[in-house]
Amino acid sequence: MKREELITSLKKIVKPYIQNEEAFECLTEETDFINDLKINSANLVDVILDVEDEFDIEIDNESMEKMLSVKAALDIIETKLSEF
Amino acid sequence: MIGNDIIDLTLAETESDWQRRGFLEKQFTSEEQVIIFETKNSFEIVWRIWSMKEAAYKIYTQQNEERFFAPNKFECELTSEDEGIVRFQNQIFYTSSILDGSYVFTLACLDKSTKAYSSIGPSYGIDQRIKMKLEEETGLPTSEIEQKKSKYGAPNYFYKNKPLTKSCSISHHGNYGVFSIQLT
Repeated sequence: MKREELITSLKKIVKPYIQNEEAFECLTEETDFINDLKINSANLVDVILDVEDEFDIEIDNESMEKMLSVKAALDIIETKLSEF
Repeated sequence: MIGNDIIDLTLAETESDWQRRGFLEKQFTSEEQVIIFETKNSFEIVWRIWSMKEAAYKIYTQQNEERFFAPNKFECELTSEDEGIVRFQNQIFYTSSILDGSYVFTLACLDKSTKAYSSIGPSYGIDQRIKMKLEEETGLPTSEIEQKKSKYGAPNYFYKNKPLTKSCSISHHGNYGVFSIQLT
């Protein structure tokens, strides 16, 4: 899957949890889930669980720790997908 | 140093499904999950423990200027109806929580004897409420009191560059906003 396709899928996943529409509209790899999209920290786990379901991957604790931005999420998804 | 967290339980009920597969496993230790399942009010205990983790994490990030998402590494123990302990790496955080049925509030500190003032109110106007409290404490006018944030988002209050707070923590969720301050 291409990086752009991954971003599109990830945008769909985070959409229900965002609280800053403007930051969501101009989302880039540098976008931070909490600081920019204002996702509640208690919903971060939902993003992670939705990513696991969508891509049929398992995000281990070590990867989860880093999942605070679009870029980190994309890197983790790419790594996990390439492990198959 | 202090850190706080508040959860609007009405909002938490609709915003998160704590019974979702993976929700507890990813964020709570197996000991915490036992506590959650053995109690009658699992929903409230989930959010009490969550707020303890979050409040302790806020202290840790202020100290270490580092961000990450590892709630399961903040191991919580409930020592009484409202008090608890959070362990992370070699550190211990002492917590005290208020559960009133509509919200859960937790204040964490590094030292049990820390004196802090907390005020729970609506989610808006927190900055002004802090300034009014500081005016009451110091006699300085609110217009001269200024908030500055560290790189990692931790706020503190100043009067002409002189710090008025040693530590300050602000949280909001749903209808609630809370601040905790430790005066200099």
